[in-house]
Amino acid sequence: MTAPPWLEVLDETLDACRTHGREDLALRLRRRRDRPSGGTRVAVLGFPKQGKGYLVNAVLNAPICAVGDAPTPAVPVEIGYAAEPAATLVGRADERIPVAVERMTGEIGARPTGSLRRVEVGVPRELLSAGLVLIDTPAIGDPRSARTAAALDVLADADAVILVSDATTPLSPAELALARHVRTWCPHVILALTKIDVCPSWRAVAEEDRTTLSDAGIDARVLPVSATVRQAAAKTGDQELNARSGFPELLSWIAEQVARPAERSSALLAAVGVRAAAAELVETLRTRAEVVVKDAGVDQTTLLHRAQRKADDLRKRNTRWQNLLSDEIADLLSDAEFDLRERTRHIVEVIDETFDRGDPLKVWDEFGPWLNDTLVKAVETNYSWAAERAEWIAQAVAVSFGEQYDQPDLQFLDADAELVGEVRQPRIEAFKIGQKMFTGLRGSYGGVLMFGLITQLSLGMTMFNPISGAAGVAFAAKTISDESTMRRQRRQAVAKMTAQRHVDDVFLRFSKDCRDAIRGVQRKLRDHFTALADELSEQLAREREMIIAGSAERERRTARLRGEIERLASLHQRAGELGLLAGRAPRELPA
Amino acid sequence: MTEDVRGLLADAFSLYRDSPRAAGLLREALEHLEQPLRVGITGAAGTGKSTLAAALGDWPTRALRDLALIDDPPPGTLTDATVRLFRHLEPDELAAALPTARSAFARQTAVDTVLVLARADETGAGRIDALLTAKQLARRAWREDPLCSGSQGVIAVAGQLAYGARAFDDEEFELLAAFAAVPREELERYLISVDSFTDPAFPGPVSVDTRRSLVSRFGLFGVRLALTLIRTGSDSQLKLSAELVRRSGLGELRDTIAGCFAARADALKARTAVVRLETVLQAEPRPHSDRLAARVERFAATAHDFRELRLIADIRGGRTALSGDPAEEAVQLLGAQGTAPEERLGLAPDADPREVYAAGIDAVRRWRHEAERPDRPPAERAAAHVVVRSAEGLLALFA
Repeated sequence: MTAPPWLEVLDETLDACRTHGREDLALRLRRRRDRPSGGTRVAVLGFPKQGKGYLVNAVLNAPICAVGDAPTPAVPVEIGYAAEPAATLVGRADERIPVAVERMTGEIGARPTGSLRRVEVGVPRELLSAGLVLIDTPAIGDPRSARTAAALDVLADADAVILVSDATTPLSPAELALARHVRTWCPHVILALTKIDVCPSWRAVAEEDRTTLSDAGIDARVLPVSATVRQAAAKTGDQELNARSGFPELLSWIAEQVARPAERSSALLAAVGVRAAAAELVETLRTRAEVVVKDAGVDQTTLLHRAQRKADDLRKRNTRWQNLLSDEIADLLSDAEFDLRERTRHIVEVIDETFDRGDPLKVWDEFGPWLNDTLVKAVETNYSWAAERAEWIAQAVAVSFGEQYDQPDLQFLDADAELVGEVRQPRIEAFKIGQKMFTGLRGSYGGVLMFGLITQLSLGMTMFNPISGAAGVAFAAKTISDESTMRRQRRQAVAKMTAQRHVDDVFLRFSKDCRDAIRGVQRKLRDHFTALADELSEQLAREREMIIAGSAERERRTARLRGEIERLASLHQRAGELGLLAGRAPRELPA
Repeated sequence: MTEDVRGLLADAFSLYRDSPRAAGLLREALEHLEQPLRVGITGAAGTGKSTLAAALGDWPTRALRDLALIDDPPPGTLTDATVRLFRHLEPDELAAALPTARSAFARQTAVDTVLVLARADETGAGRIDALLTAKQLARRAWREDPLCSGSQGVIAVAGQLAYGARAFDDEEFELLAAFAAVPREELERYLISVDSFTDPAFPGPVSVDTRRSLVSRFGLFGVRLALTLIRTGSDSQLKLSAELVRRSGLGELRDTIAGCFAARADALKARTAVVRLETVLQAEPRPHSDRLAARVERFAATAHDFRELRLIADIRGGRTALSGDPAEEAVQLLGAQGTAPEERLGLAPDADPREVYAAGIDAVRRWRHEAERPDRPPAERAAAHVVVRSAEGLLALFA
C-alpha cells in the first residue's frame, strides 16, 4: 500500500515544528499521524458548570459521568463499547488498574493528582458498538492549569468535538476563543446549547450564539438540548418529549461522524492538523522576526555611542583604582613601619628599666624568655594588622573598579616567629671568692700601712698593731664593696646593650619582611585588576566589532525567518488542497 | 470613633491643601461620613446584580432604610461594603473577583464583603432541592475555602425567585393556586421544561402569554417550588410570598446586611474614610505624613468593631472551636443581633437597666474565666478576650 499523500506534508511540518522548538505541536502532529485507523473519537469540551456530564449521560442514557456538585475527574474519561460495564484507570506510565464503574469517581479521587493519564470506561451501548468513543474532558478553566491542558490535549486525536455552553448566557469571549481554537484543530465541531429546559429565552441565546460563531468564521452548528427533558422522556418512553430534548438531532450528528469513511477522515484530520500547526508556528516565527526587527530599530550609531561611553567609563575607572592602590600601599608601608618601631621602643624602655635596677646575674634567666615572647607577640600583632589593612585595600580597590568583580586571594604571610631568634646571653662575670680575697688584701694593704706608720711615729707602736689591723679590715671591706658595685654596673651595661641590639636586629629583619609582604600584595592586586581591565576592554572592542558586523547578521536572520514563514505558508496551502480533496473548503492563512 | 476619624481627616486635609487631587479625595471621604452607608453590589455580567438590587430595594424594615444600595458601582466610587455575586463558587471565578492589592489597614479590617452564590436555583440542574444544595455548597465554601473565609458570609440566593416573590400580586397567586389545583400527575409533564410549560396543550384556560410571563418572572424552578408550597399549606399570597423569600435566601442575605453592615454603619464609614486616607498617604507621601500613618495604625489597633465583626464571621463560619450554645452567646454578645446592650445580652428591649447591668456583669465574669483558662489553646482564649471586651464595653455605658 502506498503512503497517503498527506503523510509527506505532515512529516515536513512536524520537522519544522521540531526545528523551531515547538515540541508540543510536534507531539500533537505525531499523534495525528500515528492514530489507529478505525473508530471515531468524539470529545465533549466546555467550561465548568455548563452541563458536560449531564450531556454525556443523556447521550448514553446511563449515569456514567459525575454530575452536579460531585467532584469531576481532572483527567479525560474515554467511554467506549464493552459487553460488560468496566472501568480502567490508566496511569502516567500506562499502567492499567481495573475498577468497578460505580466506584470509579471515588477511586480517581483517592489517587494523587497528576498520577493518572486517563480513565477508560466500557459500557454495553449499541450507540458505541460501531467504534465510537465519547470523551468527557475536565472543565476548561485557568489557561495555565493542568486540568485545562489535559482537556485541550484531547484535541490531538479527536475526530469531532461537542462544545458545551449553557443557554443561561450567550457565548462568553473565553468560550468563543475556545471554539476558535477547537475549530482550528478539529474539522467537525458542534455547539450543544444545554439547559434549555430552564431558560425561557433560549431561542434568542441560540440565535445570538449562531451569529457570534459565524461572525468569528467558525463553522459550527448550534444544537439546543436539554438533558432533563431527555431523562424525563426516557423514564416515560415519551417519543415526542424525546424529540423536544434535542438529543435525537445530536445523536444523528454523532452517527454522521461515525459513518464517515476512515481513510477520508484521516486525511482531513492530518490536513487540519498541519494547517493548525503551521499557523501557530508562523505566529511564533513572526514574533521572533519582530524581536529581530526591534533590535534593528536601535541604529548602529546609537549602539556605537553606547559602546564608546562604556570604554570611557572603563578608562576613568582604571585611573581611579590605580591611584587608590598606590596611595593606600604607600600609607600602609609607613604606617606598618611606624607601628613596629613604636612597639619595639616600648620594649627597649622596659629593658632599660629592668637593668637600671636589676642585676643581670640574677634576672637574666627570667628576662631572656620574656624578651623573646614580647618580641614575637609584637611582630605578630604588627603583621596581622598589616594583613587586615591589605585586605581592606583590596576591597576598596575592587569597589572602585566595580563591585561585581571579585578580588584576588591575597595570601598575606604570617610572621615567622622562628626568625626572632634567641637573644644571646651576654658575658657576665660574677665576683668570685678568690677575686674578693685578692681585692680585700689589696685594700687592706693601704690601711695597715697608713695607720701602722702613724701609730709607729706618734705612739711608738709597732707597724702591726690593733689599730692598723682594724683599719686594714675596714679598708678591705670598702674596696670589696666598691669593686662589686662597679662590676655590677658593667654587667648591667653589657646586658642592656645586648638586649637593645637584639631588639634592633629583630626590628630591622621584620620591617624588611613586612615591607616585602606589602609590596607583594600591591603587585598581586595590580596584576589582578589590570588583567580584569584588559579583559573588559577587549570585550568592549569585540562588542564594537559585533555592532559593526551586526546589521549584516540581523538581516541574514530576518531573511531566514522570512524563508521559513514562506515555506510554512506553502505547507499550509498544500494541506488546504489535501483538505479540499477530503471534502472541506480551506480557509486562507491570515496574512 | 467617627470623631477620631474626622480629626484625622481634617489634619490630613491641612497637610494636602496644596494638592487638588488629594484634597478632593479627602473632602469626598469627609463628606461621606455624614451620608448613609453605601453597599455596592458587584459581580460579573449575567450574575443578576440588578435583579438582586431590585429584590433588596424598598424593604419595609428599619434596618435597611438608612442604606444606599449601588448596583455595580463604577470604579473609584466610595462604597463602605460590598455584596459580591458569583454564578458558581469555582476557585477560578473567586480568585478573579477578589481584590488583591489593598493597604495593610484594609486587609486587617476586611469586614466589608458578603459573597453571594447568585442564581442558586440553577444548582444541580434545577431539581426541587436545588436551593438546599446551594445553601450547603455556600456553607461549605465559607467554612473550607480560603478564598471565601475572609468574607462576612457566603449566602446562596435565588435572585430571580426572590424578586418575583417580593413583588407578587394576588392575581399571580390566583393563577398559581389554579395550577396547583390540577392533579400533580397531569401537570407534571408540563413542568419539565419552559417549552412544555408554554405549550398550547397546557390544561386550563390560562393563555400562553400569561404562562410565559409567569415563567420569566419566577423561573421554571420558582413555578415548581411555588406549586409545591401551595400544595403543602402556603395557601395565601402573604404566606407564599414570605415562604418564597425565606427559601430564596434573600431573608438570610437581608439579615446579614442588616447585622454586619447596617448595624455597624458608623464603623464601616469610618473604615472607608481611613482606607481612603491611607491610599492618599501612600500615593503622595509628605514630610509629616508618617505621623498620620502612625495615627492610622493606632486607630486600626483600637477599633473594636472590626474585631467583633471578624470574630462573628469566624464563629459562624465554623473556624473557631466554639459551637452550640457558647457560640450562640458569643455571637450575640459580639453584637450580631444588634449592638444595643439589651440586644447583646438577649434581653427584652425594655428590660430593667438593673437587670441588664447584672446580666452584663455575669457575662463579663463568665467570659473572663473562659479567656483565662490555661487548658485552652491561645486562639480560643484570644477569641474569648474579644467577647470580654465587648461585654465590658456594654457595661461602660452604665458608668
